[in-house]
Amino acid sequence: MPEADRSLMAHLLRRAGFGATFQELDRYCQLGYGAAVEELLHPEQQPAIEEDVLERYYIDWKESRNIEGALTESVYRMNAYAGLRPLQEKIALFWHGVFATGLAKVLHEKTMLNQIDLFRESGLGNFRDLLLQLAKDPAMIFWLDNNFNHKDAPNENWGRELLELFSLGVGMDGHENYTEDDVKNAARAFTGWTIDDDNVASLPFGKLPWRFCYLPEDHDEGEKTFMGHTGNFNGEDIIDIIAQQPATARFISRHLYNFFVADEPQVPAWQHTPPGDPEAIRILEEEYFRSNYNIRSMLKVLFNSDFFKSDQARFAKVKSPAEVVVGTLHLLGDFTFPKRGIFDVALGCRYMGQDLLNPPSVEGWHTGEEWIDSGSLVERVNFVADQVGDIRQPGVREIVDALFDRTSELDPESIIDGCLELMGHVQLHEKNKNHLAGQIRSMLDRRSGSVSGSPGEHRLAEDTVLHCVLHCMKMIGSTREYQFA
Amino acid sequence: MTTATEHPISQQGLYQYHDVIGLLSPAGPGFSGPVAVTTGPDGMLYVASRANPNQPDGVRVSRCTKDGEFLGQFGSWGEGPGEFIWVTSLAFSPQGEAYVADEHSHRISIFDAERNFSRSFGEQGSGPGKLDRPSGLAFGPSGNLHVVDTMNHRVQVLTASGGFIAQWGGLGDHEGQFHMPWGVAIDQTGDVYVTDWRNDRVQRFDSEGRFLMAFGTSGDGEGQFNRPNGIAVDSDGDIYVCDWMNDRVQVFDQAGGFKDLLIGHSGMSKWGRTFLNASPDIERKLELAVQNIEPKRRFYRPVSVHVDDEGMVYVADCYRHRVQIYQKL
Repeated sequence: MPEADRSLMAHLLRRAGFGATFQELDRYCQLGYGAAVEELLHPEQQPAIEEDVLERYYIDWKESRNIEGALTESVYRMNAYAGLRPLQEKIALFWHGVFATGLAKVLHEKTMLNQIDLFRESGLGNFRDLLLQLAKDPAMIFWLDNNFNHKDAPNENWGRELLELFSLGVGMDGHENYTEDDVKNAARAFTGWTIDDDNVASLPFGKLPWRFCYLPEDHDEGEKTFMGHTGNFNGEDIIDIIAQQPATARFISRHLYNFFVADEPQVPAWQHTPPGDPEAIRILEEEYFRSNYNIRSMLKVLFNSDFFKSDQARFAKVKSPAEVVVGTLHLLGDFTFPKRGIFDVALGCRYMGQDLLNPPSVEGWHTGEEWIDSGSLVERVNFVADQVGDIRQPGVREIVDALFDRTSELDPESIIDGCLELMGHVQLHEKNKNHLAGQIRSMLDRRSGSVSGSPGEHRLAEDTVLHCVLHCMKMIGSTREYQFA
Repeated sequence: MTTATEHPISQQGLYQYHDVIGLLSPAGPGFSGPVAVTTGPDGMLYVASRANPNQPDGVRVSRCTKDGEFLGQFGSWGEGPGEFIWVTSLAFSPQGEAYVADEHSHRISIFDAERNFSRSFGEQGSGPGKLDRPSGLAFGPSGNLHVVDTMNHRVQVLTASGGFIAQWGGLGDHEGQFHMPWGVAIDQTGDVYVTDWRNDRVQRFDSEGRFLMAFGTSGDGEGQFNRPNGIAVDSDGDIYVCDWMNDRVQVFDQAGGFKDLLIGHSGMSKWGRTFLNASPDIERKLELAVQNIEPKRRFYRPVSVHVDDEGMVYVADCYRHRVQIYQKL
């Protein structure tokens, strides 16, 4: 396959997944771009992980009893599916960021994990259906107080965030998308949508699952006017009206673009800040309506678009902490079978600023360059360096073996080129590559006395080369290009 | 909150609910993910808790009377002497020592009659005497230890000090082969019963490891399994199998014929009552959650079953952190 095609495929897998190993890249390249997109868009057609084995060894995960257990469950699952159903995990991560719900308040780990499962199962489907399921999701109901939204005492929290952060957005093109009355009437329409048991305390025999229930006696049956429509609306009617709005198409399109294509300004700025690529957003909006609100169709258009495939889009998005952690674990081939230690690794996400299942607010995490500060950058670099520099990791061993198999004479340039390719076709800026070559050359000088003359003239001791290869991989992990997708 | 003072009976009426011992607790009276239950030579009940890796204090073996008086605990989380990470099972030798399997450290730890750590054996490997994620433990009539060596898909027979005697099995689904076996029990004649976990069946062997019979297929009907694990045989020869992912315990006759089914009828334990007495607001909320009463009573991933000499059946109800007790009628 031509280099350009391999580069594009690697780009697709960084965005639609968590990056690819060199073996996976080989397979996808053989498949071809269009077929690869189709495969990614239909994760349900790929094998599932062995849930019985998972539960056998991580016996507490089925009923996670603390946030740490829920965090490790999430990271393990993302990693386990990163090679099988990458877009299923990526879209779950996407919706978790949009419909941000947190254990800091929910305090019911299994219920939170059920919400993530909802995103896995329905995140690529119809947006209207997803929103309806979200409105019935016990974690969301508790998170936004809809269990306190009563006929005689409405609570507007869910109604407001549904419009502001989950569908329409405050405004677009300089105008507002809804009124305060719309919020109040949306809230009235969702009265009676509650859960059957909001006990969050630790029970004698463990927590029991929360379930959605509808209490007709607590529902406001009065007439409501919402977004220009009037009637005795229930919650489902509100969601139907929301799904039809151009603002919803804009909102979802901008979110998808921000997550899969290029970093955009943060959501609160969207009312007054136009999209970076208005034409791309227009194309996605069109597909939203053409496909009857289908997310899979929108992503198919997105992945096949020129704006996604362009050179400018590559290595131009800051990876989220979850992408750094899961992408690196996937590269290493680690935790493919249950074993201890996943918790320590999962904590990396938290230390880098993304406490999964516990976002800072209902607005979710700010993305793009806001992932990076002096502390999180050090965490990111150290995390990757610690992992990829460990020859005991199966994926690292495979990379080293493949490198040794492919090249008999290992000089700095071939070590660097080999590592870049085998780490998922990372493409370094020329300046970074030269700097790396200088580092490797200097290391070889120190360890072997002198490396003069043209590269490859000297046969080096295997342990020296191994040391340089591992060092090279650690340095690649610290580059801008590896930390970007 | 229901206390289930009535004593419901099993599907076929052969067993009656008797009592429950338990409470989710990382220390003292209570369990945290109990995975093994058995009776010790002192007539007391011993329960091993696997706990949560993020709450390692919960890992221990608890000792209590059969009516739920807490007497103490031994063992703790870790990789040092007398510690375990992923405890899987518990068995007593004829000499009264407690053997505890740890599938993370691939070893068996032994505690003396005073429940002080005595010694351990086992290291990871596939050769004779080596272990790869040991799970079920059972002593035969001759005093030899049978260890289910899960990831080697075999049963090993070892001396009480860990010396290799015999082995059988291998990965597969033919007679005498296993796929990640889990539990083991030995009847009074020395026949060995193994839950062949991923093959959804039980296999029976003679004391020399010769295949005798198998029963069970995948499914949720009578005589079918969804990942069976804990197993016990009573003095009548009846076989009890924890049908793990079907959340039930099935009882079979000596020939493997279906006899009865337990689905769990738990009420509130003494320890739970003490907890609720100190937390009246929680009890009030529990009473409000009427529709949740039913699942509270049922088994949720039962892992281990034990039958004592009086015909009392003890089931480690793992995700509900309790031991449900039934009387054979």
